Amino acid sequence: MAGVELLSDQGFRIDGRRPHELRKIECRLGVFRQADGSAYIEQGNTKVLAAVYGPHEVRGGRGKALHDKVVVNCQYSMATFSTGERKRRPRGDRKSQEMTMHLQQTFDATILTTLYPRSQIDIFVEVLQADGGNYCASVNAATLALIDAGIPLKDYVCASSAGFVRDTALVDMNHLEESSGGTELIIATLPKSQQIVFLEMNSRLHEDNLSAVMDRAVAGCTDVYNVLDTAVRDHVGETAAAIGGDAA
Amino acid sequence: MVDVNLSEAEKTFIVHGIQDNFREDGRSNEEYRQMDLETGLMSNTSGSARLRLANTEILVGVKAELEEPKPEKPDVGRLEFFVDCSANAAPEFEGRGGEELATEMMNLLYRAYSASTVLDVSSLCLQSGKLCWVLYVDVLLLECGGNLFDAASIAVKAALFNTKIPSVKVRQEEGEETELEVSDDPYDVRRLDVSAAPTVLTLSKIGHNHIVDASQKEEACCLARLMMAVTASGSVTATVKEGRGSLDPDSITEMMQVGKRVGKAVNEKLLETLKEEEQKGLKRKTVGFLR
Amino acid sequence: MLTSKVFIKKTKRGSVMKIVREHYLRDDITCGSRVCGLCEHPKKQQKPPLEENPNNRSSLCKRQHYLLPDTNVVLHQIDVIEDPSVTNVIILQTVLDEVKHRSIPAFKRMKDMLGNPDKHFYTFCNEFNKDTYVEREPGESSNDRNDRAIRQATNWYRQHIRNVDIVLLTNDAENKTKATNAGLQAFTVYDYIKSLKDAGSLVDRLANPLTKVSIQGNKVLFPEHLHLSDIQRGIKSGRYHQGNVLASRENYLEANVSVGGLDKMVFIQGMINLNRAVDGDIVAIEMLPESEWSCPSSLVLVDREERQKEEDDLDENEKEVKNPVPEELRQPTGRVIGIIKRKWRQYCGILQPSLLKEATRHLFIAAEKKIPKIRIETRQAENLTGKRIIVAIDSWPRTSRYPLGHFVRELGNVGEKDTENEVLLLEHDVPHSNFSQAVLNCLPEMPWTITEEDEQKRTNLRHIDICSVDPPGCTDIDDALHCRRLENGNLEVGVHIADVSHFIRPNTPLDNEAASRGTTVYLSDMRIDMVPELLSSNLCSLRSNVDRFAFSVLWEVTDEAELVGKPKFMKSIIHSKASLTYAEAQMKIDDPNQHDTLTESLRNLNKLAKILKRRRIENGALSLASTEVRFYVDSETHDPIDVQVKEIRETNSMVEEFMLLANVTVAQKIKDEFPHCACLRRHPSPPPSNFDPLIKAAKSKGLTVDVSSGKALSDSLDKAQFPGNPFFNTMLRIMTTRCMMQAVYFCSGMLPEDEFVHYGLAAPIYTHYTSPIRRFSDIIVHRLLAASIGADATYPELLDKQKTQMVCNNLNYRHKMAQYAGRASVNLHTQLFFKERVQDEEGYVLFVRKNALQVLIPKYGLEGTLFLNAPEKGAASLFTYDEEENTQTAGDVVFHVFDPVTIQLFIDRSNVQNMKLSVKLVKPVVPGFSVPPAAYKQTTEPPTKKRKK
Repeated sequence: MAGVELLSDQGFRIDGRRPHELRKIECRLGVFRQADGSAYIEQGNTKVLAAVYGPHEVRGGRGKALHDKVVVNCQYSMATFSTGERKRRPRGDRKSQEMTMHLQQTFDATILTTLYPRSQIDIFVEVLQADGGNYCASVNAATLALIDAGIPLKDYVCASSAGFVRDTALVDMNHLEESSGGTELIIATLPKSQQIVFLEMNSRLHEDNLSAVMDRAVAGCTDVYNVLDTAVRDHVGETAAAIGGDAA
Repeated sequence: MVDVNLSEAEKTFIVHGIQDNFREDGRSNEEYRQMDLETGLMSNTSGSARLRLANTEILVGVKAELEEPKPEKPDVGRLEFFVDCSANAAPEFEGRGGEELATEMMNLLYRAYSASTVLDVSSLCLQSGKLCWVLYVDVLLLECGGNLFDAASIAVKAALFNTKIPSVKVRQEEGEETELEVSDDPYDVRRLDVSAAPTVLTLSKIGHNHIVDASQKEEACCLARLMMAVTASGSVTATVKEGRGSLDPDSITEMMQVGKRVGKAVNEKLLETLKEEEQKGLKRKTVGFLR
Repeated sequence: MLTSKVFIKKTKRGSVMKIVREHYLRDDITCGSRVCGLCEHPKKQQKPPLEENPNNRSSLCKRQHYLLPDTNVVLHQIDVIEDPSVTNVIILQTVLDEVKHRSIPAFKRMKDMLGNPDKHFYTFCNEFNKDTYVEREPGESSNDRNDRAIRQATNWYRQHIRNVDIVLLTNDAENKTKATNAGLQAFTVYDYIKSLKDAGSLVDRLANPLTKVSIQGNKVLFPEHLHLSDIQRGIKSGRYHQGNVLASRENYLEANVSVGGLDKMVFIQGMINLNRAVDGDIVAIEMLPESEWSCPSSLVLVDREERQKEEDDLDENEKEVKNPVPEELRQPTGRVIGIIKRKWRQYCGILQPSLLKEATRHLFIAAEKKIPKIRIETRQAENLTGKRIIVAIDSWPRTSRYPLGHFVRELGNVGEKDTENEVLLLEHDVPHSNFSQAVLNCLPEMPWTITEEDEQKRTNLRHIDICSVDPPGCTDIDDALHCRRLENGNLEVGVHIADVSHFIRPNTPLDNEAASRGTTVYLSDMRIDMVPELLSSNLCSLRSNVDRFAFSVLWEVTDEAELVGKPKFMKSIIHSKASLTYAEAQMKIDDPNQHDTLTESLRNLNKLAKILKRRRIENGALSLASTEVRFYVDSETHDPIDVQVKEIRETNSMVEEFMLLANVTVAQKIKDEFPHCACLRRHPSPPPSNFDPLIKAAKSKGLTVDVSSGKALSDSLDKAQFPGNPFFNTMLRIMTTRCMMQAVYFCSGMLPEDEFVHYGLAAPIYTHYTSPIRRFSDIIVHRLLAASIGADATYPELLDKQKTQMVCNNLNYRHKMAQYAGRASVNLHTQLFFKERVQDEEGYVLFVRKNALQVLIPKYGLEGTLFLNAPEKGAASLFTYDEEENTQTAGDVVFHVFDPVTIQLFIDRSNVQNMKLSVKLVKPVVPGFSVPPAAYKQTTEPPTKKRKK
């Protein structure tokens, strides 16, 4: 009885969602002028900004350049006030470095890297407020920023998470659910091909339950995709209208 | 830092314009650009503000935490400033690239708020030598469009204005342990009096004239700058000269006068705007990318 | 997608952290009523719970209506709400959350009601509904907000459902007024229940309204309780201590408080010092100055005819014992200054007969002496005399000597066996209701068959000669054994345990029920199953000549009982060849003419068991005597007609030895596999001071007992013999048992590994694996073991150490209660046995107390208390008590510990409530105290007398 009940008898989670429901997503493309592409996403109370610079010349020594593909350079950073308890520094800690690596892997697998040999693309992610699913929101924001920058991708990358409570898989875990110590599966998929480009799982889960959790997370990614796709289409529509308006 | 490459001709155009009190974007020399200011956007902070000055985008979060006062000042709480130049603003800031600029901004903020008159820090102390509020003022630079210092200081003041400190009572009886009583009413909060808090005003010397709120292009033409922290009453709490060029004493005096005058006006306008915004409460429409 | 949903953030402040949580408001929350045509009720549920024609007949509200109680009504009037006649109730989420926060037992009862389809209760998630959610306003307390939320929801229902009215039940005057002003129908529970057409006994069940307290007279009897915040501050500063009240089992005016951080319990004596604390409460105490320290009166409270004076006269036995206490006996003593949490529950007992026949106010006497009398109101006192009833406490104002409570229900006539069994189950908090339909739905369908899939997943062990050995009449067989010679000359030993976890899947109602029951409870004449009978006595029970699922452990051993290689664990299918009793198995082993494989296998097992046992004892395992008694019951009257001490055969120990081996083996395996969440059992070594009484008693006979280690203790017990007293050793062992700590279940992640030891068994690690039919701990262990060999899936709760520890805590509690209930049942039967007879028996003094001797009667495995009071009131006692020497002297007769005595057993009927077995002294003769021997002739000789051989 003690502790919080993550899923009530009536089938609601602590914040009032049902197990299969994502948090509210709001997103915008092109929030900055300086960056080549930028985007802002809110998934519930998790708020992330992403900026994309490039493709441009390889910075910091030519040694880094790759002859056959572009260098994808990521940085994950969290505002010091983003967490419940204030963070001492925005990046450089182990967790952020790990996140940086994960982002790098995710986007290396998604960007059509061979199109820009000997160049570099920067993806900078800034978490403004963290309430669980930081990786997912970062990936989703970065995807939008890449699209805003017009960088060719295999597909959208959409990330979502799922946990397992009382024999039920919960999609899109918030901070409270994440910190309850149960299982969490985080995946990033290419929704059209249903390929998984990133997968991470914490805590133990019996393999019999894995498929249920996995399905929930994949379904979450698909839902995310629909939201992102609408946002992109709206944004393109608006931009086109603005240009068209000028011309007329 | 964030450099803009200008040709000689462009520079000359800007300098000449300023001589005629007519700047490249149409402003006069003592005129500010349009500012967007929003407060209370980050629900998990005690206070927050977002400021957009042309292309400069700054987010400030204030977090109040209970800590022990410094041994040399047992009866006062304190402010701790931290500035982070996000790589979002410029790729050069990646990793530790933004630290130099950040340190510079941090130092100026510390200096501006070092005077005891600007903020009543003694009210932040709950128990002498044992417990006080520390306000962590974290400045996050999201986009660079010139005049960072002014923008940061205005955003900081706005965030402090917005800060709500939970009401906490300290009780102590014979025993050693102190007991904290936190009010469970979310509306039972304390506010800070920021009416005497300074904002930074940067005067850039371009040619023989000086201007306020220099744009990025103008900054590229500027050799020396004078940064002042000015309060609403016109007093100056800190002054720093920055830049490769030099300034003669006379022009410093002159710049101080302008600084005070403009600074005072900026502060007054700021407070007015903040109060207005607060009046509107939650009903106001938010602009910008944050909700 | 739900992006269109409105949401509002809620901020909660911890100490100083600002925590922000999202809170989604929805438009798809249904009202749960069958008359509603607006909501889209989920299709999978058959029908919404609230009926079309709620049958609530009240004169206050003529129309049909649903009830909507507020939090306090649910908390305080749960007995009324539980009544089957109260149906069609809407429980708001706000209410449910508050109830959960304030009282876990009430919450559990609420959940049971919500799960009961006959009650037609419905949880309305008003906090998630966009129309009923209210946000806290500036200056509003959270209680006020919740009240407003409740009104808001009531109003919503009122507008939502037109055909049926909504009645808000609240005892809060302000809330009621506000509701009425808003046009809602709101009544107090009292008014509403009284207005019911067929209120009947429901009125009695109403918790005492506080307003009536004033009638009690205004004399303040008790000091005020401190405010919770003052208490917390005091505890932090170390001025006060927090602890659990453990009232003396004999006297509710004495209690010990176990305080964390202090190694000794704090003693509390007297009504004022206890300050309205009742057994089980969590209280804050303050230490008294050392000069006021006291000690338990070691006076076993005697039930005397209590003088019946209604009001404030102190009962005789409540007079405070105020003897100056010798310094060396003083114990840390304190007084209660505040209550942190009440742990009131329902109590069994009888009404104290009242002089005024028509009075509605009565005193209730609980069956347990650790509970004070309770004042209740009832109009049916006459019906209730001579009946066992259940009463709940509502409050205990400062002006009242006794707590105020209300009648809950009646159990039956005092002295009837069913009633008394029920009492005993209730008093020991043993869940014993029939299994609910939801639980029964989890059972496999009959006829049960083994599927192809089962065959593939399991190892087929049908061909092995497996048999089970159990006490006679055992139907829940959870273990079976085999032993066979392998080709390499070694032996293979197998322990096969019923595969209960195959049938009880995690997080099903069946699983929850079993987890809550924790254990099967054995009473002398009945068994309260942990799992439904279909499992316990059929599908799981490893009966002979049928295929059954088992969880098997196989070892390869040499003839010298040395293990070879690693043990093998497997889910299997077995086909037991025989279900033997201990006696049958023993006969097989002893019969030199039998040479079949089964007998050979038993002989080998027996041989190995002896080696294992020897080895274990060499390691320092204790063998402690405990007498177990078995009753022979008359087949017609079901009254016990003879009593027999259980016989211990070699085969008992044989089975035990292999069970221990299996348990230890499995414990090691699951600990290795799940270091943080294995469910284990430990038996802490007792602190040396625990042994003081034992050492003292042994010393009086010139013996020394070495308690420095388990091994030393075991050796010195083996050596301890006293000529002329055949039970001396047994008595020493009984005393040793009393010095021991309780063995407990725990989760391996919660303790450092060196505290895993099982002292009694001298094992570094131990668990319970072998009785999953009757213990839930074993089911958990089975699941862990199954997961570790890949035979089954884990689930999050299984791997969560906090959750596992919580399960363990419940199991420990249930286990303890089951033991007490078992003992109480034996006592009950002893009483029934002696109902019609008076008998002289040999006995030995086990303890010498201030006013009594505790006498062991080996023949019945009983202990009797021989009170040494003066024969008549007013006369001086014949006995003098020497606290130092631990003796009682009367004239030239001195009673020491271990002295043989002859006593007479009979039933004391002076108190209807507690008829009890009493003893009188026969020998040695103490003039004026002892009684002449009973004519050795029983008044009623049972016609068919089955005597043991």
